Amino acid sequence: MKRPITAALAVIGYVIMIVPIIFVVATAFTAGSTLRFPPDGISLRWFDEALGYEPFIGAAISSLELAVLATALALLVGVPVTLAVHRGKLPGKGLVEGLFLSPLIVPELVVGLALFQQLMVGLDLDNFSTLLVGHTALMLPYAVRVTGASLALADPALEEAARGLGASPLRAFFNVTLPILRPGIFSAGLLSAVTSFNNVPLSLLLQGRDFRTMPVTMLDYVQQSYDPMVAAASTLVLAATVVIAVIAERTVGFAKIFGGINQ
Amino acid sequence: MLFAPPDVATGEIFARLGEMLTDPYDLEVIGRTVGLALAVTIICVVLGFPIAYWLARSPSRWSGVFLAVAIFPLMLSNVVRTFGWLVILGSKGALGQLLVQLGIVEVAPQLLYTKLAIILGLTQLFLPLAIISCYSAVAQVDPGLDDASRGLGGSRIRTMWSVVIPLTMPGIVVAATLVFAGSVTAYTTPYLLGGSSQRMLSTQLFNYASTTVDWASASATALIMTVLVFLVSGLSSLIGRKGATS
Repeated sequence: MKRPITAALAVIGYVIMIVPIIFVVATAFTAGSTLRFPPDGISLRWFDEALGYEPFIGAAISSLELAVLATALALLVGVPVTLAVHRGKLPGKGLVEGLFLSPLIVPELVVGLALFQQLMVGLDLDNFSTLLVGHTALMLPYAVRVTGASLALADPALEEAARGLGASPLRAFFNVTLPILRPGIFSAGLLSAVTSFNNVPLSLLLQGRDFRTMPVTMLDYVQQSYDPMVAAASTLVLAATVVIAVIAERTVGFAKIFGGINQ
Repeated sequence: MLFAPPDVATGEIFARLGEMLTDPYDLEVIGRTVGLALAVTIICVVLGFPIAYWLARSPSRWSGVFLAVAIFPLMLSNVVRTFGWLVILGSKGALGQLLVQLGIVEVAPQLLYTKLAIILGLTQLFLPLAIISCYSAVAQVDPGLDDASRGLGGSRIRTMWSVVIPLTMPGIVVAATLVFAGSVTAYTTPYLLGGSSQRMLSTQLFNYASTTVDWASASATALIMTVLVFLVSGLSSLIGRKGATS
């Protein structure tokens, strides 16, 4: 190794990022009933328990519903905004852009508190509607940034050509612009659905007895009982995330998805 | 006033805010939050930059795999990622057992619910962000410049300090800002790894809002958090602008 310091720092970094995840998986397969290491034997019993534990299953379904709906809404609002920002001659373009990109830096817990106070206490909305508003607002920047990144790569002349050849604005949008945007929309949707499903800080104050999200339910469970069932549930979440990540890598590429966020 | 609950007077929130900024316990929570966030920011940049540099410059075909491994955790639930530290640092955890078996200590030390636990957890959480920000900055710097500096007799360390780091400074500033803002506002990690003995602003806010149902205090805490985050992101865009014009 030519660069011993770089190598050492890289090893430390990867150990901190990856080793805890390996420990979660290893613990999930234990036959014992405590979170100890090394695990006492190997079994699948905690997977059985996790899959049969009603609060987890119910919360997973709730989180999935919320993620899909919030993502759909965010794309429905975000894609036209992206088009307006990149293609249209919008007065106050910078302001609109700033507005839609801002939530990435706003503390989510604070947003949750504000939504709780204004929508649930103030307007008497139920948990699900408030959560949907919050998650949609949180996902909008992803929709605008990631689709924007793929739109920025496309040549506006293509749309002009379609229009010049006699296509109506609608036809030009559906036959030219939308196909160009498809990978961007796909990766934005994937990223925001995953982010919504995993969100804790925003959901924390907004969920109620009748609507609980998966990560918060897992968090509560960890705090109450110290057994490996959460490790099994975590491993299942990990497996699902790996599948989604592989799909993302194969279709659009990680670098493109996350590159869009950092531009 | 966005953070003011409809049934709490705005004056009450500012009264609580004033109390918090003089109360020793509240000041300790604010200080701990800023201190831990600073520590995590420094660690993430110190670890993330070399990794990003190596990933961007290595000709090895493995670097693509390592980049994917570094980015993947961003898609994984924070609860799942943080949970791993409970297994490692817990009272019957792997690290404590290892230290005992190696004969370094006689009884496994308290590792969970310490500052160290929070720093490890937050570093794990935000290192991928730091790597990506630095990576895109390093990738934009022409490798020919490194070679030129080395060819002109600059040592490897000199090249790093006088060529690569100044050119990638905007990316490093973005990385630091994201990590700091993330650390100040993270909830899952201080909740699971810090517990009630190492309260941070986020866990404190939740405690006010949910356990003690003290809305004025919750709103005041939210204000402090928001101001901290905006202060740092404002500062970093100022540095970024200065860097762009000079």
